[in-house]
Amino acid sequence: MIVCAGVRKSYPMGHGQREIIRGVDLVIRPGERFGILGRNGAGKTTLIKLIGGVEMPTSGSIHRHMSVSWPLGFGGGFQGSLTGYDNARFIARIYGREYRELRDFVEDFSELGRQLSMPVKTYSSGMKARLAFALSLAIEFDCYLIDEIILVGDQNFQRKCHTELFEKRADRALVLASHNPGTILEYCNRAMVLDGGHATVYSDVEEALRIYNDL
Amino acid sequence: MESLFSAGLRIQRRVISALMIRELATRFGRENIGFLWVVAEPLLFASLVGVIWRLTKGAEEHGVGIISFVASGYIPLVLFRSAVSRSVGLFSANGSLMYHRQIKIADFVLVRFLLEMISHMAAYIIIGLVLFAFGEFPVPADIGLFLGGWGIYAFFTLSLCFVLAPLSEMSSVLEKLVPVTVYLMIPFSGTFTMLSWLTPSIQEAMVWSPPAMAMEMMRGGLYGDDVVVFYSVGIPLAMSMVLLLLGLAMCRRVRRTLVVE
Repeated sequence: MIVCAGVRKSYPMGHGQREIIRGVDLVIRPGERFGILGRNGAGKTTLIKLIGGVEMPTSGSIHRHMSVSWPLGFGGGFQGSLTGYDNARFIARIYGREYRELRDFVEDFSELGRQLSMPVKTYSSGMKARLAFALSLAIEFDCYLIDEIILVGDQNFQRKCHTELFEKRADRALVLASHNPGTILEYCNRAMVLDGGHATVYSDVEEALRIYNDL
Repeated sequence: MESLFSAGLRIQRRVISALMIRELATRFGRENIGFLWVVAEPLLFASLVGVIWRLTKGAEEHGVGIISFVASGYIPLVLFRSAVSRSVGLFSANGSLMYHRQIKIADFVLVRFLLEMISHMAAYIIIGLVLFAFGEFPVPADIGLFLGGWGIYAFFTLSLCFVLAPLSEMSSVLEKLVPVTVYLMIPFSGTFTMLSWLTPSIQEAMVWSPPAMAMEMMRGGLYGDDVVVFYSVGIPLAMSMVLLLLGLAMCRRVRRTLVVE
């Protein structure tokens, strides 16, 4: 379970502060598929970062009672100057996993081939997303935080993601941020609309989408 | 059932060792000769300064060999200089690692410092052995005092890094000020002077300089009865401890507002 209570986040802007998240209360239960809808700049990525503990809320609290992945997005979580393999080795070490198993899974799942021995900074954003996906699936979290990247890659890769995340790991929780209504409708069973820093949670995804479309 | 504390300790150990290996790979690994420079630079410096001093002042300064005196002062100073300058902007540079919650920002400071300390200790040993082979370095008279001095020097450096790393995130002016400040502190660091060469009033003031106190201990340990040393253990330790606590509190504060890409 993840419990967010009164979460606010502001960033310094000029001489003042700009509040991006203005009070979010949220409970994500095990196995739940939770969608975050919002336009560009509504604070989806910020909220995902807060849930993942990458950044800290300005006020309010976030408690994680299950293992939560790092936010999987187009960047972040990797050292650009190190190769894909080096990054995998590092992640295996800090999460206490066997490197060989992790490597085998990553090679098979990411289909990055020889690119894995190149520095990550040479990867395209899609390739980075594949690597992040592969690593986090290999580590096995109770909850996956996904920022927009579900539709990355070709048909084949998407099918793989679908199998691994929605069939083999159907019992896991998922927090998915997207501005694409189709994605949220397809994968989520509960959704939130972020607008002007305020969040409204809907247990009916279609209702959330209706509100979102009217924004 | 494992206690929370020992589980935390296990994760901490895992993170520290992973970060060390990563840092080693990026700094010293692959194509560059990173570690070689850590050894070569002080060796070169000590030899050249030693040669110049020898030509202008003779083989000994206040009864101790010039080359070993310069080397024993310069290597800790290089450790100080590189640890301090590397702690500036450390958190922003490692931002991508904040994606993994088990990594705390204090780990970055600790890991950077440990790596600097280990490589400079290794450099010290190698340089000491090379100079010893040429008859230019003494066998330490009191190894305990020497190591104690090195320990205090290192502890003070670490504590300062713990303050500078978060401070550099709060103000970008620091980045410009650090190199100048390091140069200005050289006269007060005991690098090229011993307390006994100074006037009593300056000696008293130097008690408040932890590097100078630590350097006195190291020199005392190195040259034994050949030199007269004045040092305090309590004052530099207490000052470092205060810095460390202040630094840890600042790290905590900075983490709350750290913006990660």
